[in-house]
Amino acid sequence: MPTVSVKRELLFQALGRSYTDEEFNDLCFEFGLELDEVTSEKDIISKEKGEEKAKGASETVLYKIDVPANRYDLLCLEGLVRGLQVFKERINLPRYEKIILAQGKGQRLIITEQTVHIRPHAVAAVLRNIKFTKERYDSFIDLQEKLHQNICRKRALVAIGTHDLDTISGPFTFTAKAPSEIKFKPLNQSQEYTASQIMDLYRTDSHLRHYLHLIENKPLYPIIYDSNGVVLSMPPIINGDHTKISVNTRNVFIECTGTDLTKAKIVLDIIVTMFSEYCEKPFSVEAAEVVYPNGKTHIYPELAYRKEKVKPELINKKIGISETPPSLAKLLTRMCLKSHVTGNGNNLEVEIPPTRPDIIHACDIIEDAAIAYGYNNIQMTIPKTYTIANQLPVNKLTELLRLDLAAAGFTEALTFALCSQEDIADKLGMDISATKAVRIANPKTAEFQVARTTLLPGLLKTIAANRKMPLPLKLFEISDIVLKDPNTDVGARNYRHLCAVYYNKTPGFEIIHGLLDRVMQLLEVPPSKENGYSIKATEGSAFFPGRCAEIFAKGQSIGKLGVLHPDVITKFELTMPCSALEMNIEPFV
Amino acid sequence: FTEMPTDRFVESSFWNFDALFQPQQHPARDQHDTFFLQDPAEAPQLPPGYTAKVKKVHTQGGYGSQGYKSQWLLDEAQRNLLRTHTTAASARLLYQLAQQEKFSPVKAFSIDRVFRNESLDATHLAEFHQVEGVVADRGLTLGHLMGTLRQFFTKLGILGGQLRFKPAYNPYTEPSMEVFSYHEGLKKWVEVGNSGVFRP
Repeated sequence: MPTVSVKRELLFQALGRSYTDEEFNDLCFEFGLELDEVTSEKDIISKEKGEEKAKGASETVLYKIDVPANRYDLLCLEGLVRGLQVFKERINLPRYEKIILAQGKGQRLIITEQTVHIRPHAVAAVLRNIKFTKERYDSFIDLQEKLHQNICRKRALVAIGTHDLDTISGPFTFTAKAPSEIKFKPLNQSQEYTASQIMDLYRTDSHLRHYLHLIENKPLYPIIYDSNGVVLSMPPIINGDHTKISVNTRNVFIECTGTDLTKAKIVLDIIVTMFSEYCEKPFSVEAAEVVYPNGKTHIYPELAYRKEKVKPELINKKIGISETPPSLAKLLTRMCLKSHVTGNGNNLEVEIPPTRPDIIHACDIIEDAAIAYGYNNIQMTIPKTYTIANQLPVNKLTELLRLDLAAAGFTEALTFALCSQEDIADKLGMDISATKAVRIANPKTAEFQVARTTLLPGLLKTIAANRKMPLPLKLFEISDIVLKDPNTDVGARNYRHLCAVYYNKTPGFEIIHGLLDRVMQLLEVPPSKENGYSIKATEGSAFFPGRCAEIFAKGQSIGKLGVLHPDVITKFELTMPCSALEMNIEPFV
Repeated sequence: FTEMPTDRFVESSFWNFDALFQPQQHPARDQHDTFFLQDPAEAPQLPPGYTAKVKKVHTQGGYGSQGYKSQWLLDEAQRNLLRTHTTAASARLLYQLAQQEKFSPVKAFSIDRVFRNESLDATHLAEFHQVEGVVADRGLTLGHLMGTLRQFFTKLGILGGQLRFKPAYNPYTEPSMEVFSYHEGLKKWVEVGNSGVFRP
């Protein structure tokens, strides 16, 4: 969930009234936001770097608000305020207007064919006669960063560039060139660099180095020029210093380039709708023309208003309320979805503004109606569905066995399903390739390299962590192990295993054997070679030679039992003899 | 409520994410949130007809939805992972239900292990358990969902008066709600669950 940090005073000023923290928390809860933290810059620095460094930092109260991941229009103060004001019916949703200048007068962005392989899409727009203050400027920059982190997927899908239009002149060209042919002064630098030098320059920059890989090894780098060869930006890395905007900038040229056109359009729409509030003609955006390599042109921003028809009964039915169509229309309008009743009063026409790209289905509209109604005002009912319930057979067997194993004096353990490679192979005297283990590609630590193929290491590690407990230690676990299986649709499956260990001054083979007999008795499997269970002496790498047996039941081998080999015991950092039993219980389900 | 089979720790991205309308570019599918598998790295079989339908809904929309209108790669869907939520098993269940000739209502539950690639700390483990419930029937409403949840939490000892619902977002449910309960000890509302009505 993205977090937006806003100054409390600014927020209340824009909302037109003050709230206590609790009142504001409730408002957020209703709307679907979460007031995560009330803090200040001083507090933040204090927590991260200590009291000393925090001296002199601002004490202005900051609200950290968690915003749903699909609401790009709430990622800045302007959007939050607008959303909340419309929700509280204090303002009407502004109408965003696209101003298309006469032929030849508007800005043009020409895309050349070289961009096709690296960053094919671009959209652009102009914010004319905008008035920035320090707060608005900061908010503008912040919004770009938030969008970059979220919908732009760290600039991989879309990168935003904003420029002072008065320092450049169109038409602008978006092309791609070899790194050695690109030279300009990057933002906040004092000299010109070639593109390759820029890569090196930012390799250690804590912020920008994460984006270098997006274009670094490609033959051509994307670059945007104006008609005089001034560089606007080299997306997605950095803008040019020449065009940087400041608090005094009056006209802003915005370009979004990327690999996903739909997202680029959404990003542009969000930026212009949010900040056109501060233009001389509020909520108006000057359109720009984008020219494609094949000569086709397109006007951006789209600022599309989409109309959808929804039946009021559907909304009522799905939520479980019964509101009249006019009152439903009012609820939706409060959520920035302007609606009115049409037809014979039995249909609703909903207008979806460009700030709500998250509305893609009637169910999204229904959710918004429910939010406006207030989730906690909905009457709670129980579905009349009549079904007969069942426990999954393997789980039922597991539950029954667990009770009886505990009754036999063994304590249940619950261990991790992920472990290190050594745990299931080397420490048990086996080679990893002999196990059919499932391997993890990106473990955070060595403890999560593979999924367990046996419950034994988990139990042995549990004993090692509990050495101070009085002996004997008798543990068991009935849980899943994972093995590769090419016959399944994913390539692996779980098996329900039962494992028990006995740890004491003497190995206690007879105790483990007794437990096996008891389990078989409970499972009603007689001790016979033909149709019951039997054990046969065998060798096992984890077991003491001559003290290991294989368990056969229902015509198949289902596990082993025996005294553990001293090497195994030492590798798990244990010091006493230990006997163990492990078997698959699925054949008995 | 009947227990669902959840015997797959290893799941394909298809069942864990794509069939649940989670976009392929979603941050939760990142390296640092999900355990992807090295071996077996890819799921050999995905249901062919269904896979095509899922692709269409992601890229062009369908069933009344506009879709995401972005790229959908089969390779990405085939990547194996350790499941991040038991909703993957619910998705399989709903698919089976859809294959039946005649629809019959279903109430199912599961309690099993899930895996998330997180650093361990006081409130986070890499493996933990989830309780999940699904009701499928005709004419279900958000009110029904809230009622069912209230009964569930009452049985756990969290009484009705201490329960509140908050709008939330999940890629696969709309409307979605987070369930909050008042914790006497901490004197604040804490999130105890997540829920929603599956998207058509």
